[in-house]
Amino acid sequence: MKKFLNLMATNRSFFLFIFLIAMFLVFSFVIPEFSTIYNILNMTKYGVEIGLLAFAETLIIISGGGGIDLSIGSILSLSAMVIGVLAGRLGMNIVLASILGLIAGGLCGAVNGFFVSFLRMPPLIVTLSTMYVYDSLALLIAVDKWGNPMPVSNFPYGYFFIGQQTYFNIPFQVIAIFIPLALILHFLLSKTTFGRYLFATGNSEVVARFSNVPVKKIKFSVYVIGGFLAGLAALIMTSRIASARPDLGAGLNLQAITIAVLGGTNIMGGEGSILGTLMAIVVITALYNGLQLAGISSIWQVGTLGIILIGSAIANIILSRKYSSVE
Amino acid sequence: MGLKRVIKSRELTVSLVMIGLVIFFSLSSKRFFTANNIRNILLQVSSIGVASIGMTMIIITGGIDVSAGSILGIVAVVLGKAAVGGFPAWLAIILGILVGLALGSVNASFVALLGIPPIIVTLGMMSLLRSLTYTFLGGRWIASLPESIRWMGLGKILNIPIPIWLTIILIAYFSYFMKYKSLGRYVYAVGNNIEATRIAGVNTKRVLFFVYALAGLLYGVAGAIVVGRTGIVQTNTGNNFELQVIAATVLGGTSILGGKGTVFGSLLGSLLIALLSNGLILLNVPALTEGLIIGILILGSVAIDVIKNRGEE
Amino acid sequence: MEPILKAKKIVKNFGGVKALREVDFDLFAGEVHALVGENGAGKSTLIKILTGVLEPDSGEIEYFGKKLVLKSPREAHEAGIVAVYQEPLVYKHLSVVENIFLGNEIKKKNGNVDWQRERSITRELLKSLDIDPYFIDEPMGSLSTGLQQLTLIAKALNYNAKVIIFDEPTAILTEHEAQRLFSIIERLKEKGVGIIYISHRLEELPQIADRITIMRDGQVMGNFDMNQVTREKIIELMAGHTLIEELKRTPPEYTDVVLEVRNLSKKGMYQDIDFKLYRGEILGFSGLVGAGRSEVMQTIFGLIKPDSGEIIINGKKVNVKDPSIAMKLGIAYIPEDRGSQGLFKALTINFNVTIPIIEQLTKFLGIVDNSREKEIATRYLKWLQIKAPSIYTLVNNLSGGNQQKVLIAKWLATSPKILILDEPTRGVDVAVKSQIHNEILRLADSGISIIVVSSELPEIIKLSDRVIVMHEGRITGRFDKKESITPTNLLNAATGARMVYSRD
Repeated sequence: MKKFLNLMATNRSFFLFIFLIAMFLVFSFVIPEFSTIYNILNMTKYGVEIGLLAFAETLIIISGGGGIDLSIGSILSLSAMVIGVLAGRLGMNIVLASILGLIAGGLCGAVNGFFVSFLRMPPLIVTLSTMYVYDSLALLIAVDKWGNPMPVSNFPYGYFFIGQQTYFNIPFQVIAIFIPLALILHFLLSKTTFGRYLFATGNSEVVARFSNVPVKKIKFSVYVIGGFLAGLAALIMTSRIASARPDLGAGLNLQAITIAVLGGTNIMGGEGSILGTLMAIVVITALYNGLQLAGISSIWQVGTLGIILIGSAIANIILSRKYSSVE
Repeated sequence: MGLKRVIKSRELTVSLVMIGLVIFFSLSSKRFFTANNIRNILLQVSSIGVASIGMTMIIITGGIDVSAGSILGIVAVVLGKAAVGGFPAWLAIILGILVGLALGSVNASFVALLGIPPIIVTLGMMSLLRSLTYTFLGGRWIASLPESIRWMGLGKILNIPIPIWLTIILIAYFSYFMKYKSLGRYVYAVGNNIEATRIAGVNTKRVLFFVYALAGLLYGVAGAIVVGRTGIVQTNTGNNFELQVIAATVLGGTSILGGKGTVFGSLLGSLLIALLSNGLILLNVPALTEGLIIGILILGSVAIDVIKNRGEE
Repeated sequence: MEPILKAKKIVKNFGGVKALREVDFDLFAGEVHALVGENGAGKSTLIKILTGVLEPDSGEIEYFGKKLVLKSPREAHEAGIVAVYQEPLVYKHLSVVENIFLGNEIKKKNGNVDWQRERSITRELLKSLDIDPYFIDEPMGSLSTGLQQLTLIAKALNYNAKVIIFDEPTAILTEHEAQRLFSIIERLKEKGVGIIYISHRLEELPQIADRITIMRDGQVMGNFDMNQVTREKIIELMAGHTLIEELKRTPPEYTDVVLEVRNLSKKGMYQDIDFKLYRGEILGFSGLVGAGRSEVMQTIFGLIKPDSGEIIINGKKVNVKDPSIAMKLGIAYIPEDRGSQGLFKALTINFNVTIPIIEQLTKFLGIVDNSREKEIATRYLKWLQIKAPSIYTLVNNLSGGNQQKVLIAKWLATSPKILILDEPTRGVDVAVKSQIHNEILRLADSGISIIVVSSELPEIIKLSDRVIVMHEGRITGRFDKKESITPTNLLNAATGARMVYSRD
C-alpha cells in the first residue's frame, strides 16, 4: 500500500492512469452509452486539437526560465485564418494554403522564441504581447470586402478528410496525425540529443552552458515547434468544423497550459513528459465526454479542469510530504 | 538628485507618450478633445485602473493573477442576481465586493499558506469560476437591472462620475499606503528578497495573503463599476479583463520579475491603453488593429527596459 | 577591562569534518581584532556561529559577561552582533532609507511610517561615519558595492551594534573606497564598537588592526598584538608545517607548448595574464578565492569573452567563442561549484556524464545510442570507483565525494588534451581526495596537460610541476622549480607582496 501511494506521488502518469480507470468505472456504471466502442473511438477526435497545444506547452514549459506560451491559442486562430483566406477567398490550392498556414504558425513561434531566447525577455510578457498581436492579425486578415471580419467556410470538399474522415470508426486525425506525432515527440524528448539538451536547459541554464549545451538554440526551437503544432491544430480544426474563424483559439491557451501541468510538467521547468501530458489529455477528453453524456452542461468542462488542476497540486503537496521516499 | 531618477522613470516616459498622443489625436480629430470624450476615456479606465492596484501589488511580490477577469465575472453575477432578486442596491453592491474578497482569499490561501505557484492557483481558479458564471446565468443575460444599482457606474458627485471618484480615491490611498505603511514596504521587500525579509522578522505569508485577498476585493469594486456602467451582466463579462490589467500594469513599469513598480504607474498604463483605443476609433483606424498596437507597445517598452538594464549591469 | 565578547572552546563538526576544534576567541570594546587564515581554516564557521547562522556542537559564547545562546541571525542582530559581508545582502529596488529600516520601521502615532525621521536618522548615521548622505533616496541597487557596504554599516549602527564583523570587506573595493572604510572603522572604534576584521590582504592589517588571531585547520594557531608580530611570522603560522606527501613523479620535458595565453585582460576580472602550458605537465594556479583564476579559466573555455589578449593552442591563434569550440580544441573545464555550475543534481549520473559528448553518441537523426552511452557511463563509474547503485541513480542521492567524481567523469569522458580542474577536491573527504589526486597524476603521465586551480596550498604543492599565483586579477608569482614551491612563498605572493619570481 505504501509503495502504491509512493508511486502515485512520484509518478504522474501512473496517478493519472489510476484516476482514468476509476473515472471509467464510474462513468460506465452510471452512463450505459459511455463504454460503447463507438463512443470511445469517437470521443478521441475532440482531444486532438487541444492535445497538440498541450504538447506545445509541455515542451515550452520544460525549457524553464518561466517558459510559457500565452499566445498559443492566438497562433491557432491566425494559422486558421491564413489557411481560410488563402484557400477560401483567394482560391489558392488547398495543399499550398495548408502548408503556408503551418509556416505561419512556425513563424509566430519564431517571433516568440526570438524575444525570449535572444533578447532574454520574460516569456510571460512576450507571449502576452504577441497574443494581442496575433489575435489582431487574425481579425485583420479575416476582414471581407465590406470591412468586417468574417469566417471563411467555402473550403474545397477534399479538405474535409483531415478532420471528418474515419477508418474503422477511428478518426483520421487521431490515427494519421495525433498518434504518430505523439510518438515522434515522445521519441524526441526521451531518445534524442534534443531531448537531453531540453531537459538540461530546463534544469539549470548555467550548468547547461557549462556543459556545452546550445541553450539559446534550444529555447528558440521549442517556441518554433510550439507554433508549428498550433498551426497543425488549426489545420485539423478548420477541417473538422469546415470553417475558419478568427476566434477559434480563444481560451485554448490556458486550457493547454492546465493540461500540460496536470500531466506532470513542472511549471518551474526541467520536468515533464509526453506520456504524462498524453495521459492528461485522455483523462480530460474522457471526462468532458462523460460529463456531456451525463447531461451536465459543457460549460462545466473547463470548471472541472480547474478543480482537477488545483486538486492535483494539493494532492501532490500532501502526498509528497507523506510518502515521497526520495530524500 | 532625484531628478535623474524622475527622468529615467517609466511614469515620465508613459506620461510623455500620452501627452504626445493627446496632441496628435486632438489635431487629427475634432471629436477627441471634448469633455464628453475625455469623460468616456476616464470611465473606460476606471475598472482597469482599480483592478490594477491589486495586480500591481501581486506582480511586485513576484506573483501573477490570471483569475482577475473571472472573479470580476462572478461578482457581476452575484451583484446582478441580488439586485434583480430584490436586495437593496447598497446591499447587493456590498455583497458583490465581499464575494470578490472571499475569492481573493481563496487564491491567497493556496498561494501563501500552501505554497502552490500563483500561476497554477489562479489558472485553476479562473477555469472554475468561468464555469460557475455560466451555470449561474444559464446562458441568459441579466439586463433588467434596477436603476439604483447602476449608481456605481453612472452616479455623479459634483458632476464627476462615481467611477472616476473611486479611481482617484483608491489610487491615491494605495499610493500613500505603499509609501507610508510598513505593510506596503514589505510588499516590495518580499518581491526583492523574500528570504531576507523573513529573516528580518516579517511574516511573509501574511504579506502574500494580504496582497491576493486585497486584489480580490478590488476586482469586486471593479465588477460593481462595470455592471453599473454597462447595465448588463453577460456570461462573457470580464473575459480577457485579466490580460488588460496585466498589460496596463506591466506597461506602467511594474517588473514582471517582481520587486518594483507603482500603483500610479499602472494607472498611467491603463490610461495609455484607453487613450489609444479611443483615439484609434476616432481616427477610423479599424478597431481590429488595437490589439496589434497594444501588443507591440508592451513588447517594445519591455524590450527597451531589458536592453537598458543590461547596459547598466 | 573585560572583553565584550568571548567564545570559549567552540567545537563544530560537519559530518566527519572537524571545522572548529575548541576555538577560543575574544573581543574588547573599541578594538579591531583581525582574523586570518587560509581558506578552510575555520574563520567563516566561527563567524557563522557568532552571528547565529550556525549553532556550535559544544562550547559557549559570553557576551557582556553573560552567556548568550543564538538561535537565528535575527537574535544576533537584536543582541547587537552584526556581520557585513563582502557581497552585501540588499533589497536592490528599495531606497537606502528603506533598506536601513526594513523590519524595524519608525512609525508615527497613526501607524504611518515616519519617513522624515527615518530620513533624518539615516542622514545622521551616515554623517556620523563622515559620509555625505546625498544618496539616501536612491535605490540600493544603483549604488556601488562600496556604498552598499557603508549603508549596511549604518544599518548596523542603527541596531545599536556593539560588535561588527567585516568579512573581507576590501576585496572588491577600490583603493579610495578602502581608505574611506578604514577611516570609518576608526570612527566605530571611537564609539566603542568592537570589530572583527577578516582579510586576506595582510598588508592592510598593520594600518587598522590592534590584535590578530591566526587560524589553521579549525584551530587557533596564535594570538598577538598587531605591532608585535611580523608578516613572516603570520604567514608561517597560516601555512604551518603542512605535511606534503612526496610523490614519485618524473617532471615533464617542457618541449611542446600546447596552450599559450598572451596579455589576456577583462575589465573587473583579470589583467595582463600571460602563461604557457606544456604537454604532460601539471600547472598549479594558486591564490585566494576571488583572485580571478576561475574567470581566466572560463575565458579559455569560451564562457567569458575577454576584452583583449590572445589564446594560442598548438601554435595557432584561436577564437574560443563558446564551449563547443573549446571542446573541439580538446579543452575541458571542471568548474568549482558542483551545485550551480557542474551538475544537474535532479538528473541521473548517466545523464550528467554524457551530456557534453551526447552528439558523438548518436546513431542517426540525433538518436542517442543507449548501449554506447551506458557503456561509457559504466566505464567511468568503475574507473573512478563511484559508489552508486547504478548509473541511473540521481546525483542528488550521492555523497559530496561521489558527486565530485561524477563531475570529473563527465569531463574525462570528453577525452580532453587540456584538462582544467577548478577546486577539484572541494568538500570531499580525505580518501576521495587522495584518489582524485592520484587520478590527476596518472592523467598527466599519460600526456594530458593539466591546470589545477586550488585555494588549498597542500593540494597545489603536492600536484604541481610549476605554480602561478594570482592576486586581485594579476599574476603575482611564478614558481618553476619544485624546491621553490613552498607554502611561505605561495602565501607571500597570494597576499599581495610584490612580484615574486623564481626561475632558473
